[in-house]
Amino acid sequence: MKWLRNTIEVWAYEMKCALLDEGVVVFFIIVPLLYPLLYAYLYSHESVREVPTVVVDNSHSTTSREFVRRVDASPDVEIISHCEDMEEAKRMIHSRDAYCLIYIPKDFEKDIAQMRQTTVELYSDMSGLLYYKAVLSSCTEVSLDMNKEIKAKLIPGATEQQIATFQYPIEYKYVSMFNTQSGFASFLIPAVLMMIIQQTMVLGVGMMAGEEREKVRKHIVEPHIIRKNPSEILLGKSTVIFTIYVMVAVYLVCIVPPLFGLIHIWRWQTLLAFMVPFIAACVFFSISLSSIAHDRESFIIMFVFLSIPLLFASGISWPASNIPIFWKGFSWLFPSTFGINGYVRITEMGASLADVQYELNALWIQTIVYLGISYLVYKRTYGKQLWA
Amino acid sequence: MNGLRQVLAIAKREQKRMMARGIYTFCIILAPIVAFLFFTTLMGEGLPADLPAGVVDEDNTATTREVIRNLDSFQQTNIIEHYPDVAAARKAMQQGKIYAFYYIPKGTTQLAISGKQPTVSFYTAASYLIPASLEYRDMKMMSEYASGAVGRATLYAKGYTESQAMAVLQPIKMEMHAVNNPSLNYSIYLCNTILPGIIMLLIMQVAIYSIYVEMKEETAKEWLGMADNDIVKALIGKLLPQMVIWALMALFCLFLLYGVWRFPLNSGIWPMILNMFLLINSSLALGVFFCGLVPSLRWALSLATLWGVLSFPISGFSFPHMAFPDTLKGLAWLFPLRHYFLIYVDQALNGLPLYYSWLNIAIMLAFWGLPIMLLGRLKKFLLEYHYTH
Repeated sequence: MKWLRNTIEVWAYEMKCALLDEGVVVFFIIVPLLYPLLYAYLYSHESVREVPTVVVDNSHSTTSREFVRRVDASPDVEIISHCEDMEEAKRMIHSRDAYCLIYIPKDFEKDIAQMRQTTVELYSDMSGLLYYKAVLSSCTEVSLDMNKEIKAKLIPGATEQQIATFQYPIEYKYVSMFNTQSGFASFLIPAVLMMIIQQTMVLGVGMMAGEEREKVRKHIVEPHIIRKNPSEILLGKSTVIFTIYVMVAVYLVCIVPPLFGLIHIWRWQTLLAFMVPFIAACVFFSISLSSIAHDRESFIIMFVFLSIPLLFASGISWPASNIPIFWKGFSWLFPSTFGINGYVRITEMGASLADVQYELNALWIQTIVYLGISYLVYKRTYGKQLWA
Repeated sequence: MNGLRQVLAIAKREQKRMMARGIYTFCIILAPIVAFLFFTTLMGEGLPADLPAGVVDEDNTATTREVIRNLDSFQQTNIIEHYPDVAAARKAMQQGKIYAFYYIPKGTTQLAISGKQPTVSFYTAASYLIPASLEYRDMKMMSEYASGAVGRATLYAKGYTESQAMAVLQPIKMEMHAVNNPSLNYSIYLCNTILPGIIMLLIMQVAIYSIYVEMKEETAKEWLGMADNDIVKALIGKLLPQMVIWALMALFCLFLLYGVWRFPLNSGIWPMILNMFLLINSSLALGVFFCGLVPSLRWALSLATLWGVLSFPISGFSFPHMAFPDTLKGLAWLFPLRHYFLIYVDQALNGLPLYYSWLNIAIMLAFWGLPIMLLGRLKKFLLEYHYTH
């Protein structure tokens, strides 16, 4: 049982080191604690409401006023001004008082009365895609309603059902599943949570390894690693990180989502069986990477910026089906890619463990491969020098 | 003249230091180039095409097969599989195989022919927001089209002309103009701010590292000594070589965006070069500011990291600023990337005269002055403090 005693000794020492090192505490605890709150709060409105919009109504008719009134009443668009002409409307958009423009042609009402199709033109500033969505969907909804009423007048004496059938010989229904409101927070926050686990761990572990390497250069040897096997050191250290991150993960997946009303429909058995390999893969990935940490700080500069490409490489935003194969291969190196997809499908889409089998397998493979690399790294670092 | 000589001597020293350490080459040249190529090639299509979708066709008639063929031919949708029922399609969604599916219940064709208004439906996995909304668009268009086809056929049979039929079926029509990005290209929408954002983040971090590594290696006295302990000269000398390389990287970034990928550049290139120049110097200034705030390499780096990473969401290029909670709206002013984004929108995207951007330009310039109030502190830190583990 010597190895167990040795491992526990390493564990206890490393745990103390990690918790007493303010730099490491920042990455292991403070960032995972605060960053998700800030992020989730930023997106807490989920989607954009009341997009300021201007109208150029050249028709000046009862019907056009009715159209504008109804668009204004919809939750996503707010009519802030009626402009005389396009020039005035453009000026308002250019000075960012409005983001969208509704243009109603002169013959709007006349066309409808004379049974000619009439076209309302919508313009959207493309600095944000959500403005475009808001004005298009709101105006389309209003036009569908008004079309129905216009048709009712065209077929005098028709029942409601007959008009509906005439309008839509085939009715259709749309169901947005899982993220039912197509909310921005529900879409991005789960991915951010998984990214935080991986990235803060990489930074913290890199910092610890850098510190150790700096000490080695100054010929300071940590007492606890003398006369220990590389495998004992590896087991002791990795368990420290694992222990800390189990607690971090519990906070991130059990407390943060309900706090911001995000969807969380998971069964705990499924989530547990998924998070364990994810955290394990992250632990050994971090240790493997930390072999290139030359000093305490260089790691921060080298890896923080990577969070943004990695978020996109996971396929949560730009779809995975359309990621070029080269970048896909690149993304397979990182636990976050599989962690994000599995986590989103389990917690938001109610996937079972069998449904995320692919991600699960990938994470276990990563765990084993990175464990192997970690062992080699430790063997090289601690193998010879410390048996003296 | 003596001052200039000192600054140049420090710059030369800095250049040697930078060339001697791999971390500078990695962070100033390699990392940004890889990130630039990553984002522009990742989203090279502009709008993702042929997204995997499924079908549940319980009716399975010539008409429904035609509808499905049509849907498949839409640009964003690729029908990869037919499922026996909704449960199977839902499962495929949970397994991440498809982003959406179209459901045609049994008897749809028969009901449509006899005028009994059947209902078809479509489902999207909105957790994957972008592919879900694109397939939604295709499926909705397909549904409108299918319904319209039946309606038109009825009207043609009654002797209506095509334009009359359209006027009856859809008296009011919407025509959407996505100004300056008509194809809704995601790459235009995201890369224009993400790439400068990455530059900004790395500029701050590298600047902080290069300043406080002198404390760590106890060479700060030597460095300041070369400027007769004048912190301004010492900083200018140190940051000058970085600024030059960053300027070249920024030009490369602009070349990639507007030269290679031909993204909208309605202002001409000069306002964007100005924008990048403002961003580079604001980021350097923020880096120095963080150094003056906390006398520690890792704390200053941590602050820069927090600021830099937060810049991406808070600049409002993906989730718009107007939808933030009120308390965070004001905070956005403190991030150079937010101003870069707004200048970009006015200039490259919308091609407005430069004076529309005056406020954002002024604030970017104000960032340059930010470190001034902390210079004395920073000098004291560098001369009197020691690196602690």
